[in-house]
Amino acid sequence: MKKRMVAIVMTIAMAASLVAGCGVPKSGNDDGGSGDSGEKVFRYGTRTEPTTLDPTKANCIPDSEIQNGITEGLVRNVGGEVLPGVAKEWEVSEDGLVYTFHLNEDAKWSDGEQIKAQDFVYSWQRLMNPETAAAYAYIGEYIKNGVLVEKGKMDPSELGVAAKDDVTLEVTLEHPTSYFLKMIGVQPQFVPLRQDIVEKYGADFAADSEKNVYSGPFVLTSSKNQKWVFEPNENYWDKDSIKLDRVELSYIQNQETQLAMYENGELDFTELPKVSVEKYKDKAVQYKNGNTDYFYINCDGTNPALKNVNFRLALNYGFDRNTYNQLASEGIGAPSNVFTFRGLKGVDSDDSTYGEESKLESYPLDGDNDKAKEYLAKAEEELGMKASDITVEITTTDNDAAKKQAEVVQELWVKALGINVTINQVTYAEMLQRHRTGEFEIGWGGWVGDYDDPYTYLELFKTDCPYNNSNYSNPKVDELLEASQYETDPKKRQELLVQAEQIVLDEGAVLPQAEREVYYLIDDDVEGLVTYYVGINYDWRYVDIVK
Amino acid sequence: MRKYIFKRLVAAVLTMWVLITVVFFLVRLMPGDPFQNPKMTAEIRANMESYYGFDKPLIVQYGNYMKNLFKGDLGYSMKFTNKTVNGIIAESFPFSADLGIRALVFAVSFGLVLGIISARNRGGKLDFFCVIVAVLGTSIPDFIMGAVLQYGFGIKWGLLPVAQYQGIEYTILPACAIGFYTLASVSRIMRASMLEVASQDYIKTARSKGVSEFRITAKHQIRNAIMPVMTIMGPTVASVLTGTFVIESIFAIPGMGKYYVESVSNNDYSMVLGMTIFYGVFLIFCNLVVDVLYGVADPRVRIGER
Amino acid sequence: MAELNRESFVIRGKDTVRMESISRPSLSFWQDAWRRLKKNRAAFIGLCVVIFYTIMAVFAPMFSQYSLSDMDVTSRNAFISAEHWLGCDATGRDLWVRIWMGARVSLSIGFIAAIINACVGAVIGGLCGFYGGKLDMIVMRLVDLLYGIPSLIITILVVMVLGKGITPLIVAMCVVGWIGTCRFVRGEVYRIKEQDFVMAAKVLGIPDFKIIIKHIIPNILGMLVTNLCMAIPGAIFQEAFLSYIGLGITPPNCSWGVICKEGITYLRYYPHQVFIPAFFVCTTMLALNLLGNGLRDAVDPRLRGTE
Repeated sequence: MKKRMVAIVMTIAMAASLVAGCGVPKSGNDDGGSGDSGEKVFRYGTRTEPTTLDPTKANCIPDSEIQNGITEGLVRNVGGEVLPGVAKEWEVSEDGLVYTFHLNEDAKWSDGEQIKAQDFVYSWQRLMNPETAAAYAYIGEYIKNGVLVEKGKMDPSELGVAAKDDVTLEVTLEHPTSYFLKMIGVQPQFVPLRQDIVEKYGADFAADSEKNVYSGPFVLTSSKNQKWVFEPNENYWDKDSIKLDRVELSYIQNQETQLAMYENGELDFTELPKVSVEKYKDKAVQYKNGNTDYFYINCDGTNPALKNVNFRLALNYGFDRNTYNQLASEGIGAPSNVFTFRGLKGVDSDDSTYGEESKLESYPLDGDNDKAKEYLAKAEEELGMKASDITVEITTTDNDAAKKQAEVVQELWVKALGINVTINQVTYAEMLQRHRTGEFEIGWGGWVGDYDDPYTYLELFKTDCPYNNSNYSNPKVDELLEASQYETDPKKRQELLVQAEQIVLDEGAVLPQAEREVYYLIDDDVEGLVTYYVGINYDWRYVDIVK
Repeated sequence: MRKYIFKRLVAAVLTMWVLITVVFFLVRLMPGDPFQNPKMTAEIRANMESYYGFDKPLIVQYGNYMKNLFKGDLGYSMKFTNKTVNGIIAESFPFSADLGIRALVFAVSFGLVLGIISARNRGGKLDFFCVIVAVLGTSIPDFIMGAVLQYGFGIKWGLLPVAQYQGIEYTILPACAIGFYTLASVSRIMRASMLEVASQDYIKTARSKGVSEFRITAKHQIRNAIMPVMTIMGPTVASVLTGTFVIESIFAIPGMGKYYVESVSNNDYSMVLGMTIFYGVFLIFCNLVVDVLYGVADPRVRIGER
Repeated sequence: MAELNRESFVIRGKDTVRMESISRPSLSFWQDAWRRLKKNRAAFIGLCVVIFYTIMAVFAPMFSQYSLSDMDVTSRNAFISAEHWLGCDATGRDLWVRIWMGARVSLSIGFIAAIINACVGAVIGGLCGFYGGKLDMIVMRLVDLLYGIPSLIITILVVMVLGKGITPLIVAMCVVGWIGTCRFVRGEVYRIKEQDFVMAAKVLGIPDFKIIIKHIIPNILGMLVTNLCMAIPGAIFQEAFLSYIGLGITPPNCSWGVICKEGITYLRYYPHQVFIPAFFVCTTMLALNLLGNGLRDAVDPRLRGTE
């Protein structure tokens, strides 16, 4: 009986603790949202979880978006426009290789210290230092000696960045880079870092909001429980331009959940699931985030058919991009027959885009079955195979959209060309590995630019590019791309790039499908959200809540 | 008793060691690596590999890992680069556990009641209803259950909050979604064991002595029938408390289940290992507690002499 | 009351033929189980549903004008109609065909995984229970070990390592799936082994092999079949979960789990895309559960001969 008593007491004790629950901190604030308490609060969600708060190690768009609020580089890039940041003015040498930045003495860290040129030198050296192992270090290869430092063949101190004094920074580049300012304005790897802070926390630097100092218009006040809270930086040099009192970013993976929260007034902004766009047609704002979907066609793989130019062209002409877009993405997206994102800035005027200016000749969006058959016939002859004997395999990732994409392409090709198509689904990690090793025939792909220039897309077809996933090689293209790196006249440079892209399209090294379109909903009283298509998607620094 | 617990603990340490070893080598067999950046050059990859010590022989890496493990250090996550695995578990486990506890209370209490009702009305309409509930609970995939609950109660009728974790009312839907499966299995086991007990001699004796039906059920039947339910509680408690991937992602709860599943597809070696170790220890602990409680509560099981 | 006397009765004599006959037909164990199963209406319906689904899975896709992968822009998200009996999914694929093609995969995964688990578990558990000793000790340590391992992570890891597809999925499910059966069979065999009829057989010098075949197996087979019935839904369920996290069946194959998952995005606007596959999952589970319950009653020796 004694035993039983023990059991009963234990059970009761356990039950009591169950009902009481354990005092878990709340994952968010309860307050009703923007306006209720007179505070201006902007709340939104991200579907991809940010991976780090260390700007040097930033690795994905959500990382960059956070850094965009809490750090500031030499210049700011607001929706494509370059504005002074920590540097109030700068000069560029005639050959376009040396940039001299004059820093603003008023620019301060969130703890009140002045932002000095040395902070940039430290940060950039840290980026390229092999010991840091920054995933995105490649972006610093533009700086003189960048590659050598990254390979460990040169000391970081020899990197082409030097502080002349506290407020003067001199940057030397490998080759003239017309998009350099735009790039450092949006990529978080180029922001200043405080050596004392980084070294104080070591590996725990930026592990949470307290273990960091901030150079941007906002400071992070909390980064706990998959929620990031930003408040204005009191020491920011241009704090008058900041209107918000708080920004709350939550990690909400499920898009339907985000929409539901928006509908309930728990978010001020949300991207729409594709299937919901129809319902919100009047309210939704359309925007292209620079993501392009396509399949790499392995031009140097094991499948002989794919080494054949005519067969690759048959694949491209026999692909009805409009139908694809309807089937694979509910008609949300812009079918595309070129590789480069067409919304990139052009050179003729401020409004015109690369897509309008380039005038590439490419496969019709509706597909061209006659031409496809023509190319297929040629290919059959050259390969000595019948179309029905040719099998190609699409390797794609395990996410839903990628699977659907592959299924639709398979269906369209089988119907249009009479070839056999199989699908192999692998994890994202394995897909990247296969990109690297070339163990695929036709591979899932997608690209988003790092800077507002066609080169960020086209470098994928340079023979020695580490992410030349199509294993495409053409000396002419290499030559054109290399020349574009040294050409300083924008118009001529664009012509070189257009020529290169035309060759790639004529040889069918890739199957362009669509540029992604996003529809988002935003509260009527929110003003000033800037969207961008490279580096970050949403820039909320200058958002204001108007009543 | 003490000897029994000691023996179990020794076995647990052994189990954990095998588990860690198997998982340590198994994760390395997964295709791909943790550095998932499409714009990565060979140099950067090499730098990252030496940063995490992957350039050393695997057995050396294993030794280092075990050494750190003895100090209680699970290392840094490879995806969330400046967070420690310990930190991530410490931050996310309370949410999963809190939700899990609510789900368990809900599931066990309602499950027992349903099981009892259904056994008392064997063959009747109520029984049929309870069986249907039990089958539905175990047959609707949880991603459908979660989404339907969220859509129905959160969006369509607006009765409860849609997502996130900001108070008691926020936990109702996810707790129900998590608990429904357990509810169903508890009610099924309870029903079966109630019926089993009903045919025992002591029930017949009680009945022949003229004890009222209510007293028989309350005093004799339930108390004895509840034992088999306890046997499934070990694994159930462990899995429910460490979070459910699907429900956490639907309801945007910053819990552990999501990290657990995603760390595998991210090839985040240290996270997979850390989460597995935490989960394994927790599971073994729950099983032990349940077995001990079982032994204490049921005089027929004399574990001390096993 | 009328008085009864001798004259009221007529002596008919003895019927020497019928006297010795057995009034009820002699039934083997299985005949009796089948008879009782037929009497249990719920279980019988369950059995019919399972058989019906199996037949449909085999034949329905053959007689449809659509194929598994036929897409059609115009009938995207179409609702149930005369052309598309169960509507269409987001790419205009006919759900009627997909459901039955999915049934092939789901049901075969469920059956195969459950049968493998049952066989492996029964053989190992049986050997352990019957022979005991060192073998028993080693295997039981292994079982205890696997019992302490989170099965989810092992399943996911195995799928990740082996790659995707039906076979790796089944293998992954079986790595830890046999433990339950093993424990249960071992216990049963242990119990039966101690009973008098086995003892008697042993004393009479019957070889182990024969004892296992003649005495042990028939005694546990019923419970095993019941267990099997209950394990199939579990396997189907697990496949659905793995499909949800993207580790399940790969195209062109589809399963009910995959269809559910594809449909869940459309819950708000085209709910048929998720409720139809969910209906089939649920009814299959229900049918198998009812059948399992019925089988349990039918093979329970204590209930033998009762109505």
